[in-house]
Amino acid sequence: MGTHVCRKQMLRWMWRWSVCPVAVSRGHMPFCSTQGEPHQVNPSHGGQVTHRPGNQLSLCSLLEMGFSETQAKEMHEGATKSRGKHVPSVMTALLLLGLNPSSILKIMQKCPEVYSLKGADLQQRIDHLRKMGLVEGSLQRMISHYPKIMLLPVKRVNMVSRLLREKCLFTIHQVTEILRDSPEVLEEDLAQLEYKFQYAYFRMGVRQPEMVKAKLFRLPLSELRCRHCFLERRGLYQTPDKKGQTLILNPALKDVLCVSEETYLTQVAMATAEEFHVFRKLMAREQEEKGREDEYSSDEDEEDKDDVLHRRKHHWNTGYKKDRK
Amino acid sequence: MAASVLTRFCINKSKGSIRFIQRRYRVKTKWAATRPTFPATELALHNFDTSYSIQLRDLWPSIRVAMLSEQKYGALINSFSSAPNVITELEAQGCKDFISIDCTRNEVHQSSLDSMTSHRDSAELDPAALQPSMSPDIKCLVFPKGDISRFNPARPDSSGILGYYLLDAASVLPVLALDVQPGHTVLDLCAAPGGKTLALLQTHSVNHLWANDLSGSRTMRLRRTLQSYLPKEFLEENKIHITSTDGRQLGMTEEKSFERVLVDVPCTTDRHSAMVEENNIFKRSRTKERQKLPLLQTQLLLAGIQATRGGGNIVYSTCSLSQLQNECVVQQAISLAQQELGITVQVQDLRWFAQCFSDTFHFAPQLSVGELVLPHLCANFGPIYMCKLQRMN
Repeated sequence: MGTHVCRKQMLRWMWRWSVCPVAVSRGHMPFCSTQGEPHQVNPSHGGQVTHRPGNQLSLCSLLEMGFSETQAKEMHEGATKSRGKHVPSVMTALLLLGLNPSSILKIMQKCPEVYSLKGADLQQRIDHLRKMGLVEGSLQRMISHYPKIMLLPVKRVNMVSRLLREKCLFTIHQVTEILRDSPEVLEEDLAQLEYKFQYAYFRMGVRQPEMVKAKLFRLPLSELRCRHCFLERRGLYQTPDKKGQTLILNPALKDVLCVSEETYLTQVAMATAEEFHVFRKLMAREQEEKGREDEYSSDEDEEDKDDVLHRRKHHWNTGYKKDRK
Repeated sequence: MAASVLTRFCINKSKGSIRFIQRRYRVKTKWAATRPTFPATELALHNFDTSYSIQLRDLWPSIRVAMLSEQKYGALINSFSSAPNVITELEAQGCKDFISIDCTRNEVHQSSLDSMTSHRDSAELDPAALQPSMSPDIKCLVFPKGDISRFNPARPDSSGILGYYLLDAASVLPVLALDVQPGHTVLDLCAAPGGKTLALLQTHSVNHLWANDLSGSRTMRLRRTLQSYLPKEFLEENKIHITSTDGRQLGMTEEKSFERVLVDVPCTTDRHSAMVEENNIFKRSRTKERQKLPLLQTQLLLAGIQATRGGGNIVYSTCSLSQLQNECVVQQAISLAQQELGITVQVQDLRWFAQCFSDTFHFAPQLSVGELVLPHLCANFGPIYMCKLQRMN
């Protein structure tokens, strides 16, 4: 849908809201029979005329936007249930994006909290995402698939972006790609995010471009660790040494992460599903117990090493379990 | 490049408090006093990767991941305990006695086979061995396949005797294969820490048991184990004789004295070596010791053969996957016994045995001699190798 058409429609609605203050009562939804019947505006509410109708989403306006009757009904129900105060401005922002009515409806179904946002906030967040490099097309796709992203404040998006750039040393382009492929990264705990990166970097010896290609941040850490350790203990994956060398050829990260479990098992790990499921249970227990152990253990030993990378690597369990007895 | 780094270093740090370290004072790893050490577990794994990937081929990755993951235990029931509900309490947690289950299933299968006229040449199952003779008194409970639950430690009964002994369930198999009959005199050549010894006693068929181990400290451990599991009256009956000598000597001093001999030799203890760093046999200081193992094992087996009466059984077992410590040792011992000592020893087929327990354990296919339990994530027991021999003269 062209932005030009959008803007024209928008102007039309804004005109309607200012002269057609149809108050919608709960439960009863009067359908406008004609389109061009302006009611008398109450002069005492002059200053607030634009506000009051602006708070409530009228069915007429919904129909005008292009929603079908059933869609409009659903949207309206959602809006009233959410008690959002600025629903029309939210709609404006979404429409400005160029989303069609069915997409908007889907978004609202997936994420009703969007109703409760302020239009200005939403617009600001969308603009910010554009600044992050998400261009038209991918921006809309991302919002359609992951509407929760609109609930996140700009500050949060910035914090994640800064972590990825400064601590994980991704380029700006790579950060954009990560946001586009795995928007859920914006909701993740920052420490967990950094840990996941460090696991892939030090423990698996993978570098940033490969991480982006393999959509590393889509997977939870437990699954990443499970698939990696399974391969490592089978002898099919080795942590590279200081020079980055291994005795065997490690499978590419995308071949490990981006495939279904079935493909992973048959092509990469060459194991049965039963084995993998038992392994997953064992890993979960190992991690749980390791977590409890770490709580009781003393501080990390501060070894006198110049190389920061090497110091970090030193703390990693290289897969050879120590006896817990 | 080093020069440019140094100058940068100098310029950046001159403002700060860090001194500029001159090149000649930097640590030179080439001349460092201690060499970089690889952990012994890493050396062990490297050794296994090299030899077992060739020996076991496609099976090796599954075995490797199982050995590097938490092993599965079995609870050997102590029938000397007076506690009434040991088995029911354990069964309530979900585990079952694999011995009785596998045996009864095998008997049912055999009876159904007998009733049919089989045209198929039963080359797989020796007709004479169709009725497995095994001590049914040994009970060992394990959790089902794929169940990773752990056992709680055994509790003592009113007299302080523990209800069960936790061990690798596959360790019970050599004892079962030994087939102790009532009234037999049994020799356990390398008995410590005592799991298999305890299993032998559970048969209630042992007339006299000789348990030996080379190491004094390990023999002490064996004694403590037996004290925790056997009533005082039983220990006082002098049915058990514990010694701490070189097992190789016993071949000559106790010639032809025993109906049954168990030779559970010291080996590279593969699973243990891959996981535990302490006193690992793969550390460099123990290289010679490790390389001499096959020789030691052959000598111990020969001693065991010598100590057996005519018609008696010997079971040789290790907890390693290595052919050099398993099949090679057995074959060497058999030929040496014939050539040097004039003793004829015959290998007893254990294929029916392996088939009987194939639901609980993963056995290696087609070994030249003996049977090998392979670690597998769904049945993480082993590795255990066993071979049954009979002395013919």
